[in-house]
Amino acid sequence: MKIHVAVNDRAHVLEVAPHALLLDVLRDVLDLKGAKRSCDTQVCGACTVLVDGLAVSACTYLAVETDERSVLTVEGLADGESLDLLQRAFLDAGAVQCGFCTSGMLLTARALLRENPAPTREDVLHYLRGSLCRCTGYRKIVEAVLAAAETAR
Amino acid sequence: MSARPLRVVGRPVPRVDGLEKVTGRARYVTDLVLPGMAHAKVLRSPYAHARVRRVDVARAGARPGVFAALSSADLTWCEPYFGPAFRDRPVLSIDVARHEGEPVAAVAAVDEATAEEALELIDVDYEPLPSAITLEEALGPGAPLVHTGEPLSGHFADLATLRPQPGTNVCHRFHFERGDAVTVLAGADLVVEDTYRFPPVQHVALEPHAVLAAWDETGALTLWASTQNPYSVRVELARMFGVPLARIRVIVPHLGGGFGSKTYAKLEPLAAALARAAGRPVRLAASVPEAFQTVRRCAARVTARVGFRHDGTLVAVECAADYDVGAYADIGPRVVQKATYTATGPYRVPHVRLDARAVYTNTTPGGAFRGFGVPQLAWALESLFDVAAGRLDRDPVDLRRQNFLAHGEEFAPGDTPIDGKLEESLGRAAEAIGWTRAGAADRGRGVAAMLKASLAPSVSEAIVRLHTDGSVSVLASAVEMGQGTRTVLAQIAAEVLSLPLARVTVVQPDTAVTPYDQTTSSSRSTVMTGRAVQLAAEDVRDQLLRVVAEALGVAARDLALEDGAVVAPARRLTYTEVLVLRFGMSGGELIGRGVMAPGRTAAPLGGSTPFWEMAVGAAEVSVDEETGAVRVERYVSVADVGRAINPLLLEGQDEGGVVQGLGHTLLEEMLYQDGHLLNGTLLVYRVPRADDAPPELECHFVENADGSGPFGAKGAGEGSLIPVSPAVANALARLTGVRLRDLPLTPERVWRALRARGR
Amino acid sequence: MLRPFTLHRPDTADEACALLARLGEDAAPYAGGTELLLLMKLGWLRPRHLVDVKRIRELGDLTGGPRLAIGATVTHRALERSALVRVHCPLVASVARHVANVRVRNVGTVGGNLAFADPHSDLATLFLTLDATVALVSPRGRRELPLADFVRGPWETARASDELLALVRLTPWPAGTAAAYVKFGVHERPTLGVAVALQLDEAGPGGARSSGGSVRVADARVAIGCVSPRPARAPAAEARLVGVAIAELEDVAGAAAESAAATVDPADDLYGSADYKREMVAVFVRRALRIAAARARGAEPAARFPHAVVA
Repeated sequence: MKIHVAVNDRAHVLEVAPHALLLDVLRDVLDLKGAKRSCDTQVCGACTVLVDGLAVSACTYLAVETDERSVLTVEGLADGESLDLLQRAFLDAGAVQCGFCTSGMLLTARALLRENPAPTREDVLHYLRGSLCRCTGYRKIVEAVLAAAETAR
Repeated sequence: MSARPLRVVGRPVPRVDGLEKVTGRARYVTDLVLPGMAHAKVLRSPYAHARVRRVDVARAGARPGVFAALSSADLTWCEPYFGPAFRDRPVLSIDVARHEGEPVAAVAAVDEATAEEALELIDVDYEPLPSAITLEEALGPGAPLVHTGEPLSGHFADLATLRPQPGTNVCHRFHFERGDAVTVLAGADLVVEDTYRFPPVQHVALEPHAVLAAWDETGALTLWASTQNPYSVRVELARMFGVPLARIRVIVPHLGGGFGSKTYAKLEPLAAALARAAGRPVRLAASVPEAFQTVRRCAARVTARVGFRHDGTLVAVECAADYDVGAYADIGPRVVQKATYTATGPYRVPHVRLDARAVYTNTTPGGAFRGFGVPQLAWALESLFDVAAGRLDRDPVDLRRQNFLAHGEEFAPGDTPIDGKLEESLGRAAEAIGWTRAGAADRGRGVAAMLKASLAPSVSEAIVRLHTDGSVSVLASAVEMGQGTRTVLAQIAAEVLSLPLARVTVVQPDTAVTPYDQTTSSSRSTVMTGRAVQLAAEDVRDQLLRVVAEALGVAARDLALEDGAVVAPARRLTYTEVLVLRFGMSGGELIGRGVMAPGRTAAPLGGSTPFWEMAVGAAEVSVDEETGAVRVERYVSVADVGRAINPLLLEGQDEGGVVQGLGHTLLEEMLYQDGHLLNGTLLVYRVPRADDAPPELECHFVENADGSGPFGAKGAGEGSLIPVSPAVANALARLTGVRLRDLPLTPERVWRALRARGR
Repeated sequence: MLRPFTLHRPDTADEACALLARLGEDAAPYAGGTELLLLMKLGWLRPRHLVDVKRIRELGDLTGGPRLAIGATVTHRALERSALVRVHCPLVASVARHVANVRVRNVGTVGGNLAFADPHSDLATLFLTLDATVALVSPRGRRELPLADFVRGPWETARASDELLALVRLTPWPAGTAAAYVKFGVHERPTLGVAVALQLDEAGPGGARSSGGSVRVADARVAIGCVSPRPARAPAAEARLVGVAIAELEDVAGAAAESAAATVDPADDLYGSADYKREMVAVFVRRALRIAAARARGAEPAARFPHAVVA
């Protein structure tokens, strides 16, 4: 099936099989390796990408669903060499360790801040409840999201 | 050279690999693509224990798009067994499968879909056998034997003294004693005794194991592997495939978490075998459920008797620990031995009798996991310490302080004396949790302390290369798995050579390029690899100074390094200029070498620990008595680290260690039924989420520059995890009067204990 | 990784049903796919045809009227944010907000949730207290049946293989109804879910918000989910509550909760032992009732229980 999809603001016309998963199309066809396969069951969030601004588990999402839609991956957060506020905040707060969850965390946080520019800690925890990290213990990730929200305002 | 203030060591500099991680450019093994790469899938035993009578891969191998289909019968050209302690683990099952999930056959195909379909074309005749799943089943009379026949020893010299018990499932026994614990306990004023259980848990690194293996036309093997010790993998593969070490190259890109799950060979031998059979590179990526079938923490049952005098002096400890190491020993025997050696924890105990056994069961092999056997023992001993405090009517903080080993005191003859100040950690933890302040009626506080030895003997080597533009490469094989070792090594080199951090590049571990490093585990990298890097950088420094001293006719001691230049009283030469001086032209480089190899000593385990890891944890908990749900409201971790090379990274490490510790304390447990793992997926295996982290979490560091590592550093990263479970259980006991002895403290377990106590 | 399938995208319900009728067991209706695709990845379901129902306009409708009609392809997120739902059934929006995680909520649909009949479904439990009915369409026509009859057991519904769940209808509670939904559990899916709704009789001095008035429970709904093979109401518990003054609800909450707990049929599993689950049902029915009672008095209790979500 032919799909027209804008990925990180770049238009693509792709021929994808109905059963192709978005995660595999992003990683293997478009060479966007930032989204990761981990639990493969929508629990961990390592595969999170934004489709029309909404966070989805790319591991369990058909690529054909992105026809006529826009997809944002971690590679699309920075504007050239200029980092997004969230990326900057994660670096400054020390919220990155092994980095495998980082892409998912950043995109989830991005969706949160677009929906709610002034989240409380509770709001952040609510949104990140579905994004697992085994390295950081979450504290610096939450701080980074709150700091980015603060900076943006 | 005069001591000048540190410029980059001790600063919370941003991690050097942060940018690539936040932009999605960091590469992990499963991100790598090689031309013609095949994709592997593994057929795994559905039985905990079964005779494998026949494996027929013919139809799978004949399927179009399949490059190789292997069973053990096909592996005629390699040694089929591997393992660091015992070479007991087959690449593919040979006659018997010993745990659910054991690889029985494997295929490499043009894509994953074809590989999956090919698996369905493999016929296997299994004859299920009785299995031993629990310690009780494995040790009971008439227990099914997981292994029969003579074991071969693996590649560690310190395990040449492996002591299996033939005819049983005991693959190693460790005994340690001093004084006469049995007699002293018989006469002690107070003896507390009980049995504690620690569950099997899985590391759940977000990145499951992955390997990309490729043989070249000369018969040399290259692997990109998610491994914490490329050199261990290399030596294993060299022996198995009969290839010289120099012709095996193990490269480690970023690791998506390790925590011990990626130490020693796991899937690398299978990937290499498939690549050889397929005649093309093979990518073998495990799923999370497969990771659950590959390695886990060794579960344990610990029975301890601890004797005190009326005045609170600890006089004797007798401890018997059984560790469930699963179907294959992996590094289980060392876990058992090394942890048991420090079973007594951070205390002075004149009379000690410690016995431990590594026991095979028909379950996922148990291996290394952050803490390396110590969490299991600390769970028991630190809980008992509080029980004793209760019986002695003593404050638990005070009782610990009274019995702590002192700075400089001997732990065991021949081993390194205690190199930290335990009571400083305890004092700071108690202060931070508000130990002496009245607490809310619905909250309870508890503390626990830990002591752990690091791996010894071990070897770390490093090379530092100073290039003509004054930039530096650091070649060392410590693996970056999130803990920040690349950054710390860069900081050390930058500090010694007085360069901005940005001028230092740490090359990824690559056994063809970066020299030997024993392992990235045991909290050892900052001290051992870091010291090797420091020595290598000092070697470069010395060469720089020698060149300039000779050229200027001054003494080297009158020179200094400053901001990328050698500074003499009246001259300043940039490194670039020094290299021109040295080589008489533009070109060349200075190469420095550092070796950390303290070697064998008279210490009981054959080597003296390079440092003692010591830490204290303090928890404040609340409990919903109607449901049994425990909430850790506040947690304080204090680690005695000597010098925090990077306080920001270290704090992140320890916050993560605390939360990971809360996993096995409150949530995690691998559950088996009839040999089948019920919860090997994240849908039903519960790791801590963002809202499980304590709302107030503080990690502090004691820094007295008293370590043997660079700038007085010691190791860290495990100390934050180990005290968590006893600290929480002690807090719960102080709040409710209920003492639990089995982890995890799930709501239902706590609820039952509260009911038994009576409301 | 999924096995290949043909994706059909009918524009009308008739087309969809015709496809389902023609393809039979080889086909599965597909909306968000959060349950379906997961099972397909695990290899437990292997449909060779997926019938994507998201283009069927009316399935995406969310309309009011005396009853609220929620089309099958309405996502949990849409439910959470719908002004209509927030006005007429605010608890539905609050519960939708806490289903699974944000990614599942963005994509997963109400129809998929109900048609899949996972015994741990929050919405199914809550909807039982709202006199929910589901509309099924097929080549044979249209039928509507109570949700309680639609959900037959774990992952088992009354939907024939050529039927499509088109919408679910809810009867909003009368104004002034005090309600609460509480779920409890450690795992991804909750161990139990409790929905309570107390319709208040505003007779008496001061009306519903008067703390000293004799506001009474005119009608009560109690539904319990996750612990039994399917969610169910607890009529005996409900009966216990009718006629009770809000001011005295605390006194009967315990008895009502015990009564509710007696109706459940739990099994020992990963989510808990049967006796623990039964006891927790009592605990959380009591707690839910207390929260509803507080809300009846115009207060919002700051109740927070570890591993529980209060909506």
